[in-house]
Amino acid sequence: MTQIQLAEWSRVLYSPTTILLYFAAAFVYLYALTTTVGRVKDRVRGRRAQQAAGVVTVLGLTAHIAHEIFRGLAQDRLPLGNMFEVTSLMALVGVGAGVGYLQFVRKRPELNGFVLLAGGLLVAFAGLMYAEPGPLMPILDTWWRPFHVSLLVAAMGIFAAGFVFHGLYLLSERAEQVRLVMTESSAGAATTTATATVSGAIVAPQVRIPRDAARDATTAAGTPGEPDAPTIADPSVRSAMRQATSPFKLGIGMFLGTATVSWVFIVAGDTTAVGVGRFLGINIAMVAAALIAWWFTPFLPSAQTLDGLAHRTIAFAFVMWTVGTIAGAMWAEQSWGRFWGWDPKETGAFLTWVVYAGYLHGRATRGVRGRLAAWIGIGAFVVLMGTYLIANYVIVGLHSYAGL
Amino acid sequence: MGWRWLTRMKTALGMLAVLALMTAVATAIPQAPNVPGTVDAWLAGEQGPGSAVAAALHAIGAFDVYGSPAFLALLLALFLSLTACLIPRIKAWVILVRRSRPPIMRELPHDAVRIHTRQDAATTANVLRDLLGTRRWRLRVDQSGQPTPADVASRVAGDTGVSIEARSDALVVNLAGEKGLWSREGGSILFHLSFYVLLAAIVFGQLLTFEGQRGVIEGEPGFADTEVSYWAYRPGRWFSGADHAGWQLDLDAFHIDWIRDPHAPGAGQPTKFRSDVTITMPDGDMFVADVEGNRPLVIDGVKIHQLDWGYAPWVEIEVDGDLVYASFITTVASDDGAFRGAAKAPAATPDVGLELELFPFSPDGDDGLPRLTGAPWDDAPLLIFHQWRGDLQLGRTQQLITELDTNLLEPEGFGFMRPGDEVELNGVVVRFTELRRWVGFQVSYRPQIPWLLFGSALLIAGLVTALYAYRRRVWMRVESDPSTGRTIVSVYGRAFQRPEKFEVDFGALIDEMCQTVDGVRSDSAAGITAAERAKEGAS
Ligand code: HEM
Repeated sequence: MTQIQLAEWSRVLYSPTTILLYFAAAFVYLYALTTTVGRVKDRVRGRRAQQAAGVVTVLGLTAHIAHEIFRGLAQDRLPLGNMFEVTSLMALVGVGAGVGYLQFVRKRPELNGFVLLAGGLLVAFAGLMYAEPGPLMPILDTWWRPFHVSLLVAAMGIFAAGFVFHGLYLLSERAEQVRLVMTESSAGAATTTATATVSGAIVAPQVRIPRDAARDATTAAGTPGEPDAPTIADPSVRSAMRQATSPFKLGIGMFLGTATVSWVFIVAGDTTAVGVGRFLGINIAMVAAALIAWWFTPFLPSAQTLDGLAHRTIAFAFVMWTVGTIAGAMWAEQSWGRFWGWDPKETGAFLTWVVYAGYLHGRATRGVRGRLAAWIGIGAFVVLMGTYLIANYVIVGLHSYAGL
Repeated sequence: MGWRWLTRMKTALGMLAVLALMTAVATAIPQAPNVPGTVDAWLAGEQGPGSAVAAALHAIGAFDVYGSPAFLALLLALFLSLTACLIPRIKAWVILVRRSRPPIMRELPHDAVRIHTRQDAATTANVLRDLLGTRRWRLRVDQSGQPTPADVASRVAGDTGVSIEARSDALVVNLAGEKGLWSREGGSILFHLSFYVLLAAIVFGQLLTFEGQRGVIEGEPGFADTEVSYWAYRPGRWFSGADHAGWQLDLDAFHIDWIRDPHAPGAGQPTKFRSDVTITMPDGDMFVADVEGNRPLVIDGVKIHQLDWGYAPWVEIEVDGDLVYASFITTVASDDGAFRGAAKAPAATPDVGLELELFPFSPDGDDGLPRLTGAPWDDAPLLIFHQWRGDLQLGRTQQLITELDTNLLEPEGFGFMRPGDEVELNGVVVRFTELRRWVGFQVSYRPQIPWLLFGSALLIAGLVTALYAYRRRVWMRVESDPSTGRTIVSVYGRAFQRPEKFEVDFGALIDEMCQTVDGVRSDSAAGITAAERAKEGAS
């Protein structure tokens, strides 16, 4: 194959192939998740759907990897040279690591849908920055570069997963509060002793467990839990758990929250129309993702699980970010003869590091837990995305390759 | 607001927040040490939010965040707070390492795992102690040997056939093991201590470093590494002129090429960027070397980077038959593809100044006139000059070598030339005889780098340990059961972090114990263990 053909193949493998496969897998997984509360027949269908989604996921990952390989061959270098390539690889790492972790380590494949949804969005987002394959400037061609860039990219992908977990935590935590109230009131109908036990359990951390346990009971044995404990097999319980978060507020909040970062596209667009189009596209996609997640509120893992996942994910990414930033300084010393010059990219990397260090400090001292931690985690991700886009799109040109 | 205030986590978090805020400002607003030109443009109102806002930003030091007194104050406060917080932590840690022993638990909870073995109690206890030791558990062994009354009572109640007397000579060994206690806290302390190493490296680095820049024209004499030969010279306060090695660098050739096909991917990007240089050491030794974008030349710890390049036309100016100027001119690339420079000839009366624009690839069009393409390769160079006369004000105003100060100069028109051409304008003859290239080298000496790497290594090692060393405890109770002649081992564990991971590890430990003491796990009395319950929950 000629390089032109390879380039063409890599483009098709990316868009539409990978994008569609990720979204398709996401929706089939999410459909399978909804069947866990249905009748036996539904659940059988759900299990088949989940297997099908697994196949689609593998196809999507294969297409994505093939895209990276073809692109690499077409341009005869590692595809880590520009914003598109970096973001695409970030999505690949995020989806691969996320699905692998849920599937094989946590053994919760039913949650893969959320990872794939996020991955599909990221892949589509990278598509907005698509650049034809091409060679690298010689200055960018050093061993430190792929090392530095891939670490930071992987860290960004994992930070993104932490952001998703924190967002889901907020949905799940509110829903649990609602369920607690329902548990209390249903128990209140029983004897006084029963009320005492139940409300005694409310203060203990284990209260989070009944929800998972109730679902396990329904999925495993096919019988609803105790008649007076509200389970998600009951549509009114599901609806009440959803209503714990107002979808309007969620949508508007997501739109505004995304706008704190995506305005960059208005500024950076070739024309205002293109810029506004991208801005709206990203914001609406994020709102749609939030609303889909909202609809799935009753099926989410317990808030405690999500909180722990988010914390560990972010701590891991923090280590990668640290190493990656240091590698970047080594590269700068190698290429530019200065290891740290406080240019916007370096400053942005440092800012992200400080913000996430603040997050870890807050958590380590027990002062910050639950909702506050989730909001700090979300804010830190906004800072990460903001500095990444601003340093690349808004302040371009200031730091081109010119020394004297 | 005393020492106590400084040691509070809230204070540290607040300072980190301020640091983040300052860094955000430094990200969004151009910084004078990086891009002085942009800052000047902001202050002049040519770019950015307007001169009024820029003046306000300037007043609060936003154009040089990391050089501002506020930042220095914050840094001082951060390190004070860090110190205030670390001293008691280190003290406590040393005490922990020297004195602390895992507490013995005499009565294990009911859901402890039980292992039965035919080996005698003393052997079993020894084998288990060794096993825990090789798995790097810190151990404490209690051989007081006497079963506690409660223990006996429960045993009697459960197992009526055994008398109290028969149990009193039974051997009981209590083991307690602990993991991750020193390392987790030690890692955190190491991580924070690494900041001192980094800070010291940065401060001493600033004092001992040196950085200089100098342009060199192909084939022309280069420069010597001495104080006076650099165009830009930034020594640290403790770097003296005597510290220069004094070698001489000459540029033999500079190789650069691009992807010239406008339809090829990456069209216009450079593909080659290399300088062939000859170095003459002070003792007369000579050697040739090349410098590439990512491969600086290192001479005795001094790094030579190739940072910039441009074209260098040889330009001569003759006024009334007198040669008043003859020199290579270093021109600098600009965004429109032109390489710009200036010729200043104070030897003429009045002074002659030329503003020069070199367009390296300007082939003739169908009409015979050159077309400017903006491409950087010098296949059809064209030199355009604007001529000025009057007072150059050399030495009186601050001037760049690539620009004229035209305040006291009168324009006299312009002309253009190919190499070998000459143009006469108002009695001034301008000649363009030859085109070469020049390279901008940066010479830097940074003794702090190994120390920065050392600090970074400490930082990463500390961070990983602080995050991934988990605190765990296990307790074991080994006792002989004379009624059956067997030895019973009860095991109980506790995780302070990541309990779900510990359940797996704990299960593995039990399996290993069973193997080493040749025992069987019996989960009779209290039934299933924590580890097993977890397994059940997962399936
Ligand atoms: C004002 C100076 C600082 C003070 C007083 C301070 C104090 C502390 C304390 C007491 C802990 C241990 C918390 C615990 O395990 O209970 C800690 C952990 C930590 N600190 Fe700092 N620190 C300071 C500066 C920094 C800075 C500048 C960074 C990095 C940007 C940083 C990053 C961390 C990290 C990553 C942890 C580990 C968190 C964890 O164990 O999960 N610290 N710090």
